[in-house]
Amino acid sequence: MTRRRVVTVMTHMALLVSGLAWLYPLFWALGSSLKSDDDFFTDGLNPMPSHFLWANYLNAWQEASFGRYFMNTILITVGTVVITLVVTSCAGYVLARTRFPGRGFCLGLVSATLFLPHGYTIIPVFDLMQRLHLLNSLWSVIIVQASGGVVFGTFLFMGYFMAIDKELEDAAQVDGANFHQTFARIMLPLSGPMLATVGLFTAISAWNSFFIPLVFTLGRPELRTLAIGMYAFIGENSTEWTLLCAGTVITLAPIILLFVLLQRFFVNGLAGAVKQ
Amino acid sequence: MVMTTQVREDVVTAEPPRSAGRRRSRRRTYLWSYVYLAPMMVLLLAFIVYPIVASLGYTFYKWDGIGDPSEFVGLANFRQIVHDSIFWRSLGHTFVYAAFVVPVQLVLALALALVLNNKRLRFASFYRTLFFLPVVTSAAVIGVVIQLLVSNFGDSINTLLLNLHLVHQHIDWLGDPHFALAIIILVGIWHTFGYNLVYFLAGLQTIPDELYEAARLDGAGRFATFWYITIPMLRAVGVVIVILAVIGTFQIFDLVQVLTSGGPYFATEVVNTYIYHLAFGGSNANAVQPDIGLASAASFIYGLLLIGFSVVQVIVLRSLARRRGA
Repeated sequence: MTRRRVVTVMTHMALLVSGLAWLYPLFWALGSSLKSDDDFFTDGLNPMPSHFLWANYLNAWQEASFGRYFMNTILITVGTVVITLVVTSCAGYVLARTRFPGRGFCLGLVSATLFLPHGYTIIPVFDLMQRLHLLNSLWSVIIVQASGGVVFGTFLFMGYFMAIDKELEDAAQVDGANFHQTFARIMLPLSGPMLATVGLFTAISAWNSFFIPLVFTLGRPELRTLAIGMYAFIGENSTEWTLLCAGTVITLAPIILLFVLLQRFFVNGLAGAVKQ
Repeated sequence: MVMTTQVREDVVTAEPPRSAGRRRSRRRTYLWSYVYLAPMMVLLLAFIVYPIVASLGYTFYKWDGIGDPSEFVGLANFRQIVHDSIFWRSLGHTFVYAAFVVPVQLVLALALALVLNNKRLRFASFYRTLFFLPVVTSAAVIGVVIQLLVSNFGDSINTLLLNLHLVHQHIDWLGDPHFALAIIILVGIWHTFGYNLVYFLAGLQTIPDELYEAARLDGAGRFATFWYITIPMLRAVGVVIVILAVIGTFQIFDLVQVLTSGGPYFATEVVNTYIYHLAFGGSNANAVQPDIGLASAASFIYGLLLIGFSVVQVIVLRSLARRRGA
């Protein structure tokens, strides 16, 4: 073996070992979710279960209401993604392609809010939801969650539509396509990668969101998402650790799976945002 | 992020020649533009702009969040926050958190990005995924896992440390004011490290190969190449990465709320958990009546600090990047 070969092998070994060690907490949670309570305490830091106890998942799903939390999280995530995609693709298209009066004002407002720190204004939002009588429904979480991402999404779509050749639209308009047809039949089909990017960004942040669902489900346990359910579970039944670990896996697995499937878009989207 | 999205006039519809039909069609286009834009503007105005304005209004009232605010107290809330030592301590904790997390993450991420950017390295995207995965996991759920790991199996670590004679008594990692913030910092570094890795990889890929080729022909060593080519070429992207990392760490809430809820004895209280506890109560250590007015005053002060800090940061880093890059 040449010296270069040795270096390459060593690099791969180091990366693989450190990479797997990096994910140790996740492996540990996965392993612990399949253990019996006794094994959980005696195994210590060893993630491998001696035998697989699938009943933990059944118990978490039914007794600990993770089934309900799962459905709530799915509804919130899907709702947030759909609203965000519709709202930001339309706004991004208009801002990129028409010079209507007031465009400068809208652009300025959007850019200014990009830099403002978020999160500290939750109280007026809570109050507003109360006045709109939306407080005790999943809609409050969906709307607030979506509004947090519209500015970033609009910017991404605007940049994407600006880069598309204008001649395509001109040709469509010569053929008699109106405003909506140009958008729906020409521009939208071309923006697949951006739909995937914004959709995945929104899905991840909605699925993992903690602060917004925490505040909006304070008095309504049946509206909890998985993350809030986990948090509440610690306080309420702080002894069923293996069940809690099963809940962890139920919470993490879907979003990790979605990410691994679509990670190309996510990473490119992040990279593009920094490079701009 | 998206800082320099400029308005490119050339791709925007040019003014068409004037004629009655054209003008009517243009007016219709404008009308539909407003319709397309309206949902975004409504969400933006109602849930981002209005709350900023409204939270200023609440700051003048003592209000528990039920009914309408009626007890006007003037500037008393601001006075109370400014004189609350816990506010300043939580601000301090937030700064300590950022001061450790940002540099450690950036150095580690840059080092790993340099390794993974090697074009001859196979499976680079697989390794990138391994290190990136914690980013897509929920901070709240990670907090639960870490809490289980640390508080139940701190024993294993304790035994190890005791056997090595590094400590003399058992440590309750998250319950000890000396260690709780350190654990949160470590978990924080782990959780968002992947962002910086991907940002640096993106930055490294913008450096043209010809530059490295030229350096090699000039006989530059690895260190010289890194110092005179990689670092200067990364400056523009680096500024954005630093700003994003700092803004991100100042928003810390989930991890702290789940791991310690700001305790023990406020040892890990950060500004966002402090505000949350003021507004909604609930913290065992902090059993006060919810006071939205007080929380809004704290939010407003923190918001101003953050905006001021971001502006200063952008100006300083930009001028630094320009001067050195020239």
